[in-house]
Amino acid sequence: MNYNLKKAGSSLLNALSNHSELVMEAYFSGSINEADYTPKVINNLLDLKVIWRPENERQLRLRPALRTLLEESLQDENNRQIDANIGSSLVSIKTQAEHYKEALNAGRFKEAESMLSDVTERVYSLTDMLATNVRLLWSRISNEFGYVATVDAKIRENELAQSQVSELLNQLSMFQFDQLSDISGSHRELRHLLVVTLQSSFAHCTQELSLAQAKLIDLLGRFREFKGRTRLLKGFVLHLEQNPSFAPQNYSTLSNVPALFNVAENTIAAAAIDVNNVEQEQSLLEVMSNIKHVNRQRDTRTNLNNASPLTMQDENAIELQESLLKSEVDAFFCAVIDSGTNQTALDYYKTKNLDFDPEVWLYQVIGGFHGLPEQDKSYFALETRGVPDPVFSGNFVITDIEIGLQ
Amino acid sequence: MISQKGIVLEKLLSGHFICETTDEDSYRFLKTSAGRMEVEAHLAVLNRQLTHAAEEQVFFASYQTIGETERVKLGKQFEDVSNHLLPLIEWLLLVQESLNNDLSLSQGMNLRLNELQTVIEDTPAYAEQLNKISRYALFGSKAAELDAQLKLVFKRLVELGYLIKPNQDKQIYTVTGKIDYLFDVLKFIDETEQLSLAKKAEDAMSQSDLI
Repeated sequence: MNYNLKKAGSSLLNALSNHSELVMEAYFSGSINEADYTPKVINNLLDLKVIWRPENERQLRLRPALRTLLEESLQDENNRQIDANIGSSLVSIKTQAEHYKEALNAGRFKEAESMLSDVTERVYSLTDMLATNVRLLWSRISNEFGYVATVDAKIRENELAQSQVSELLNQLSMFQFDQLSDISGSHRELRHLLVVTLQSSFAHCTQELSLAQAKLIDLLGRFREFKGRTRLLKGFVLHLEQNPSFAPQNYSTLSNVPALFNVAENTIAAAAIDVNNVEQEQSLLEVMSNIKHVNRQRDTRTNLNNASPLTMQDENAIELQESLLKSEVDAFFCAVIDSGTNQTALDYYKTKNLDFDPEVWLYQVIGGFHGLPEQDKSYFALETRGVPDPVFSGNFVITDIEIGLQ
Repeated sequence: MISQKGIVLEKLLSGHFICETTDEDSYRFLKTSAGRMEVEAHLAVLNRQLTHAAEEQVFFASYQTIGETERVKLGKQFEDVSNHLLPLIEWLLLVQESLNNDLSLSQGMNLRLNELQTVIEDTPAYAEQLNKISRYALFGSKAAELDAQLKLVFKRLVELGYLIKPNQDKQIYTVTGKIDYLFDVLKFIDETEQLSLAKKAEDAMSQSDLI
């Protein structure tokens, strides 16, 4: 049971010893420079409540409780006694603020700085103390108020609770912000401490106090009672608080283990798949098809899917045609070689009764000729036959091609 | 297809606690003496027997004869249980206070996550308490936000069998019989170690002073 607390306690003390330099620096100078330490260290100490950040933009400071511990243990007379009473706290803060302003005006900067740190410390202790008090009041009302048996006891309790709440309210009302604002004047630091910090702490405290009051009103009329189980729970928590080293003895070592602690472990694991079972084949296939397939390659198949089958056929048809043309052109060239004489493309076209478009045929011949390797090309010569254009001078219309051997 | 008996056996052997909330049919099956006898016959083969807790509200399997191997397993289990006690109890108290109930949680109670979250968010004391609870090793939360911590705590409790989430879409959790089992464990420890916890709580109440 104490395992959790013990672990937390050990880690706290270890952190304190590991980061002792940080702690001492915070103690002497009031705040620490975050840049000097790693975020990990700082977060660790924040979680352990060794240091805290009074407000969002301010620097990290040592927790007041820890500071008090250090003050007492080190018997350091230089450090001030922080007052528990809000009223006197406020008065001393105001006095210190006046000292600070005077020192600043007289040009005694070192003194002024120490005054300022003093004021800072007092202000933050005050806010912490206020918060603690209100929290304490709230938890008492929530957890312990109302559990009385007789009407008289209830009345007494109500009076007590109400008086304590009003006392806290009175203390809070001592915050006269206009006065504080006047005192701080135009000094930025003072203004921040006295006006901004105190005001936000005041706001938080009043909020929580109003929650406490609401709860009090709610419970004024009720007689609360711990039903059996809650008593058990509360008692257990209390017991652990008082005896942190408590642990129940290990009942599993007794010869007669009580039934409550005799809980059998998990024996069953998931069954395996039988791939030889014909009956399950269908369902197994379904399961397999639902398994997500991780496709790591870019899927290019979509492009091909969009192309319709017709296109494929067309390609084939075109290919056929082209290859037919090509083979005919080859045959034409061969014929020229065989015959050894010049031949025009159109003559050959007529003799062979080719069924291509004549113009296409001509272009193919030209293309075929120019496509020949250099060596082969040198064997042939190409001449064009045509007439000048009747309408546009300078244009020569080709009507036929003549291929000959060189 | 598996029969009701089969379902019951499988649950018991998986270490589950059967109560009316987690599985009503299995619970009914075990309430009949015939059902109990059938199940016990099968469990006996595996050196187990049927045990009940919390006035027969929850059933689970336990070892019949305890040998060395069983002792080791039970020892480990016991360690878990005792380490988990404090976080679970603090959580129970927190929920009880937030919902303003004088009654502690018991089987069948419904917890609405958003209702709980609203109350805890509004009250700084509860938020700090939740923060503390979620940092225990049992829950092991690293989050700083309240709703993440709350969700993790509830998720873990469902895993451990203390709560169930009957409807996956709605954030409503039902308390199972395992909580009653937990209370039984507490009572047992109280009596055996003679802590007189109830008396302690009462004394604390009568001595209280607000500030």
